[in-house]
Amino acid sequence: MDVLRVSRLSRTGSRIATFVILGIAALAITAPFLWIFRGAFSGSDAELYRLPPTFDPANVTTDNFGKVTDQVPYFRFFLNSIIVSTTITVAQVITCSTAAYAFARLHFKGKGVLFAVVIGSLMIPIQVTIVPLFLVMSKLGLTNTLWALILPGIFSAFGIFLLRQHFLALPMEIEEAAKLDGAGHLRTFARIILPLSGPSIATLAILCFTYWWNDLLLPLVMISDTERQTLPVGLVLLAGRFSTGSLGTIAAGIAMAIVPVLIVFILAQRYIVQSIASSGLKL
Amino acid sequence: MNIPFRKVALVIATAAMTATALVGCSSDKDAKSGDQSLEIAYWNYGPAAESGNKATADAFMAAHAGVNVTLTPVTGENWGTYYANVATLIASGKHPDLMVISGEGAQFVHANKLVVPINKYIDKDPEAKTLLADIAPGLIDGFKVKGDIVTLTYGWNDMVVYYNTDVFKKAGVDPPKADWTWDDFKATAKKLTADTNGDGKPDQYGFTWASNEIFPGIMPWVANAGGNLTSDDVCSATADTPQVNKAVSFLRGLITDGIAPAPMPMSDVFTRFQNGQIAMFGAGRWPIGTFVPAGFKAFDIQLYPKGDTYKTVFGGAGYPILKSSKNPDLAWEYQKFTLSDAIEQQYVGTPDKPGDSIPSRRSVAQTISKVGVPPANSDLFYNSIDKYPTLVPYPAPAKYSTFESTVLRHLQLIFAGEASVSDGLKNMQGELSSIVTC
Amino acid sequence: MSTSKTPRSGVGGQPVAAPGPRVHRRRGGDGIPALAFLTPSIVTFLVFVLAPTVGVLVLSFYDWNLLSDGTFVGLDNFDRLVHDDRLLGVYGSTTYMALAILAVNVVAGLLLAVLLESRMPAWLRGFFRLSFLFPFVVSASAVALIWRFLLNKDLGLVNYLLGLLHVDRIDWLGSSAFAPVSVIIVSSWKTIGFSILVYIAGLQSIPPQLKEAAIVDGANAWTRFWRITFPLLSPTIFFLVVINTINSFQIFAEPRVLTQGGPGDASRTIVEYLYDRAFGDFDLGYASAIGITFTLVLIVLTAIQFRLSRRWTYYE
Repeated sequence: MDVLRVSRLSRTGSRIATFVILGIAALAITAPFLWIFRGAFSGSDAELYRLPPTFDPANVTTDNFGKVTDQVPYFRFFLNSIIVSTTITVAQVITCSTAAYAFARLHFKGKGVLFAVVIGSLMIPIQVTIVPLFLVMSKLGLTNTLWALILPGIFSAFGIFLLRQHFLALPMEIEEAAKLDGAGHLRTFARIILPLSGPSIATLAILCFTYWWNDLLLPLVMISDTERQTLPVGLVLLAGRFSTGSLGTIAAGIAMAIVPVLIVFILAQRYIVQSIASSGLKL
Repeated sequence: MNIPFRKVALVIATAAMTATALVGCSSDKDAKSGDQSLEIAYWNYGPAAESGNKATADAFMAAHAGVNVTLTPVTGENWGTYYANVATLIASGKHPDLMVISGEGAQFVHANKLVVPINKYIDKDPEAKTLLADIAPGLIDGFKVKGDIVTLTYGWNDMVVYYNTDVFKKAGVDPPKADWTWDDFKATAKKLTADTNGDGKPDQYGFTWASNEIFPGIMPWVANAGGNLTSDDVCSATADTPQVNKAVSFLRGLITDGIAPAPMPMSDVFTRFQNGQIAMFGAGRWPIGTFVPAGFKAFDIQLYPKGDTYKTVFGGAGYPILKSSKNPDLAWEYQKFTLSDAIEQQYVGTPDKPGDSIPSRRSVAQTISKVGVPPANSDLFYNSIDKYPTLVPYPAPAKYSTFESTVLRHLQLIFAGEASVSDGLKNMQGELSSIVTC
Repeated sequence: MSTSKTPRSGVGGQPVAAPGPRVHRRRGGDGIPALAFLTPSIVTFLVFVLAPTVGVLVLSFYDWNLLSDGTFVGLDNFDRLVHDDRLLGVYGSTTYMALAILAVNVVAGLLLAVLLESRMPAWLRGFFRLSFLFPFVVSASAVALIWRFLLNKDLGLVNYLLGLLHVDRIDWLGSSAFAPVSVIIVSSWKTIGFSILVYIAGLQSIPPQLKEAAIVDGANAWTRFWRITFPLLSPTIFFLVVINTINSFQIFAEPRVLTQGGPGDASRTIVEYLYDRAFGDFDLGYASAIGITFTLVLIVLTAIQFRLSRRWTYYE
């Protein structure tokens, strides 16, 4: 009787501790964003840096969003970002899943070496390859086009790696059965493997989409015309010379760039969790 | 999840078509009409840069029938990344006829033999004489490298002290006068430093300067101490002289005395100046383009206080003619055109939408106060270069970016109190000696 | 532990086929289909990854400033590496910050993930998960704007709040002691959500029967963690160690926007350093030499991790 009560008490105690730790962590991680969203709705830049923080409901406004669209072609940037991120994501899903299938399920000479090369390419910082990459794009006549942002994103060592781990964990028997039915590799891949891989593909899609959505380095170098720029460059333009633009306007720009990704994130979250769960992540 | 293959294919096809369409647009643009064409690269730092350059190009085409001007905006977070991106463009075989540079870039483009000096145009072109008479000599000298004039300057900035008039009023401090000294300055800054929330530590400071740039940072102090970071021929570094030491010690003293906060990048200062947390800071004319549209007008400007001497620190921008240009003569016409009345008016701006730099032509710059663009003391902008001694040439060696980042890196340690002023400057000088060369 | 009990997929699932003969090899292998499946990746890899990488390799033997024709200088750029007074310090600060970010991700990430797996209403779990993932979606400009306000020494929110607790103002961004700490905090803040997500996935795939059996056996939570959870989670931990090592050694944006790598080189990373050499100094050859050697260092580091992992990761 006593033992039970003690253990129940300690369990209540540890549950409280759990929620306190999680709550503090969640607060610490999200609190900085409250400031951005508050800034986006603030009519007074001066108010934002005040200490102690003050809040005057009279200053709440949605004008900043209008200023964003007045100052830069925001919807154009938005469209470009959507085109670039979506195209890369779709392309990565195709290239990574096919490559991962080959690495996980097929037997061919030099597989180990090839896979090592793929993983090795993760180690090269983009900052050092950007000039040669620009020259490649220039030779192809693709600088200052969205292709210059899309094409370098299509090959993804991370994506191949992630999907390969998942494919490795799928039972071989289903494939053997398909083979007995006379299905070729393409059919096995499209009809058997892919349908079983939705969640892990969703993970890849989210990570890929977010990464390219936020990428600043490539568009800054590759694109010159304003109407072909993406959102992160839009934020740089909003900030203006020496980044001295209005704080509220920049915050509104940031908030507008976050929200779409956030929605995608919330929708796909369940998928991501399941996906990594089933991908087995064994190395 | 089933991946519906047809839908995926459809999405790809659509995306590919969209992108192809965009590629299509770009190739049309490259078509040039004969040799009457110019390509101009400029720093696209925001909407103002784009609309300004577009207006200039359109006006030029309207005034010169048959000429086709192509603009190449180059994005960059600052002058440094802009230069890097232009250089990448050039490396890939693109050859603009003109490109925007700032004064800091003059030695850089000259040393890399990128530009056609305009001396011969100035000598030959009768219009140049009248133009030059309307431009402060300092603005021409600022772009002179070994006797070569790199470009005419269309717009420029001098470093002045901005002060928040409300904070001054509240503290009962008189506005500064043009002949104030470092002692006056320090006393003023001290009076403006306050603990407004009563926690025993100041939360309102008299002054701060940019931690991420040297022109709105330490240069005015160095100049007014009678020093410079390079020799007059910009061929050797002079960072550990007593004059530089005096300037840096003065600034560090402001921090240790609690009159100035730990230095921060310029962008972090603007809002804190508007809300009164910082009473004074130094910059060119560009803050006005942020303050006024934000509805903030409680500020004015004054010269930097004088130390052992006074010298105006300034920097300009221009469109030098590149060596690769097939139409240098036409390019010269364009360069001149950027100083024409209508274009220079852009930099004056209106009371609601002020320009973000100072027009190079005296006659145009003098209209700023007449038009009523804040602040009240706007006449000071041009007077500072016309009526006061100036720091010429710029301490901007060919490797400017490396030079500036080296200076800033050592200043960080000095201002954080982790290196003594003399040790820090000695180390700075040691590194600079291999960076500042000819 | 027998394999038959465990579910088909997941960390505790099917043994991963070592790239070996689990399926009967067809005569001649699957060379042609493999090529077909790999073609999209190979083509994009060749053109957009390998070609630029070879370009970097070539550049590392040249002196080139983008604007003029390059000059072949042999191994000069690599010789300069040895004589670069700053490079070792930058490697040091990079390593310090990278290891700390790695540790936070792997250790704190695990703690939070384990706590998240305790019993709670679904909406609350969803809320926590989303909170942790939030920073993942923001761009570098947002990071700069937020954290430079929070961490400003004299006019920042964090020091203001600490001041209420009578803590002296800390020079978060300007001092050699704290600038790297700030970079660590902000970088970890940005990436921990991803690590938590991966951990949760790993934890969820541990068969609940094993835990129940252990509870029946009277093992306490601590023992259960070390005897069951940890071994079964070790492949996940290893995955995170590898990925976080690569990512955290390559951080660039955070130190750049927060501290400009300073004061001095206290918070400078190798990638930032080579970026400045390339685009500040226009010294493309030297920047390439730094990039090549840094890549080799990371490859060796990862290879060591793979080798060591055999001792501590647990595969059924």
